[in-house]
Amino acid sequence: MGKITGIFILICTLVSAENSMDPGKRQLQKDCLQCHQKQQIPNEMVYRRYLSIYSTPMRIKEAMVAYLRNPQKEHSIMPPQFFLKFPMKENLNFDDERLIKDVELYLDTFDIKKKLTL
Amino acid sequence: MLKSEKKSLIRFLLIYLGSTFLLFSLASWVFYQHQRHQLIDQQRNALKYEAQQIKTQLHKLHESSDPQLFYPVHPPFASSIYDIDKNYIFGTLKGARLLEESSYMKDETQLYYLDKVEPYFLGAAFLLVSKTLDTKSIVKLQEMMVWFMLGAGVFFTLLGYFLGKLFIAPMRDSIKQMNQFIQDTTHELNTPISTILTNIEMLETFGKCQKSNELRRIEIASKTLSRIYDDLTYLNLNHHYHRHIERLDVSGAVRERVVFFSSMMEAKGLTLRLDIDPGVMLEMDRNDLVRLIDNLISNAIKYNKTKGLLHISLTGEYFRIADEGIGIKEKDMENILHRFKRANNSEGGFGIGLDIVNQVVSSYQFVLSIKSKVQKGTEVEVRWEK
Repeated sequence: MGKITGIFILICTLVSAENSMDPGKRQLQKDCLQCHQKQQIPNEMVYRRYLSIYSTPMRIKEAMVAYLRNPQKEHSIMPPQFFLKFPMKENLNFDDERLIKDVELYLDTFDIKKKLTL
Repeated sequence: MLKSEKKSLIRFLLIYLGSTFLLFSLASWVFYQHQRHQLIDQQRNALKYEAQQIKTQLHKLHESSDPQLFYPVHPPFASSIYDIDKNYIFGTLKGARLLEESSYMKDETQLYYLDKVEPYFLGAAFLLVSKTLDTKSIVKLQEMMVWFMLGAGVFFTLLGYFLGKLFIAPMRDSIKQMNQFIQDTTHELNTPISTILTNIEMLETFGKCQKSNELRRIEIASKTLSRIYDDLTYLNLNHHYHRHIERLDVSGAVRERVVFFSSMMEAKGLTLRLDIDPGVMLEMDRNDLVRLIDNLISNAIKYNKTKGLLHISLTGEYFRIADEGIGIKEKDMENILHRFKRANNSEGGFGIGLDIVNQVVSSYQFVLSIKSKVQKGTEVEVRWEK
């Protein structure tokens, strides 16, 4: 009886946590991070890689959206070794609006400015 | 030191020190600018070094997976990072606007160094490092320059004075020799002139003889020589002359001098008109007064036309003497008071008469005015008022 109660409480907590999550984060989690976590793709590293090449959020966004529309090794900025370790991304077939929104949410989540301090 | 010697020395020192000061100032300015730039460059190099340090730390931060990334802060330096579009990302220099130059200075107080970051660690394409200009070393340099200029100024002044004395030594010797010669000559002339004049008077008094033309000419020539002797003595002793100021009867003195010059006036057939107010008294040295009157009367006789009018007026306010002579040209009026300057070279003289008059007038702060019209005459007026 105690075990059943414990499992029930855990399920309730998870459901309530899922429901209390920001809708944007929920969308990012569902569209991107869920899969990334499953494949153990290092999001922070990918973001920093884009940052070191494109510098501004606007330029990164343009580059990411362009890649996600047509994800091919040749269009990627990641090193070749990356694709030896991680599987090649499949085309998401999202509409532009959703794709852009996802990228914006992704950039906001990993924004370096939020981590910098004096 | 003689007046002319002093004048020459001052002129030499002015030219020498002026040109030396100009050259020295120019050289010092170039040296100061060079040293100042070097001091600023040293501080710029420190900024460059700091930029390298920060870039290394940005690289480390970019690779770091820490939840908080501590931006490198190294006082007295301040820095900020900017993205490729020159938008501020983070740092301690928030308000600073990026310029195109890699190294620049604002308000002469703040040094900036702009460096490129490649790859863009933390998204930074530009790194701006700044530091307040350390003015201590520049102030020290300025102080050093001031002391150097002062030291050089004193040294060159002393050197100039020494050189000046050395350069004018031959001139001083020449002037001394010339003065000595004039002094000796005038002294030697005095005795024969006095003898001639005394004997003419004795001939007139005891010889009971009528003044013949020949005798009158001898008298005039002797009096002219006597006056030249007095003028030369006056000029020669002027620097060391001790004036004995006393209350003088100017009216009596003018009449006396008119009598002295009467034979010369007669010889030239001049008509004399005297308007002398009695009892005009002045506080003066007798010799100064006599030289003033003598030179003005002498000039008026010398430059008057034959059988011309000589008008002498004396009041409590002025002494005026007018002739109907050749007059003075407009262009000569400016320099007529200078020594050795003569209005007409056809007449005799040394050109020292008006110089002596001017000296006397200046000494007593009288006012001298000369009005003249060529071929009409000249009017010289000395106003006693100051």
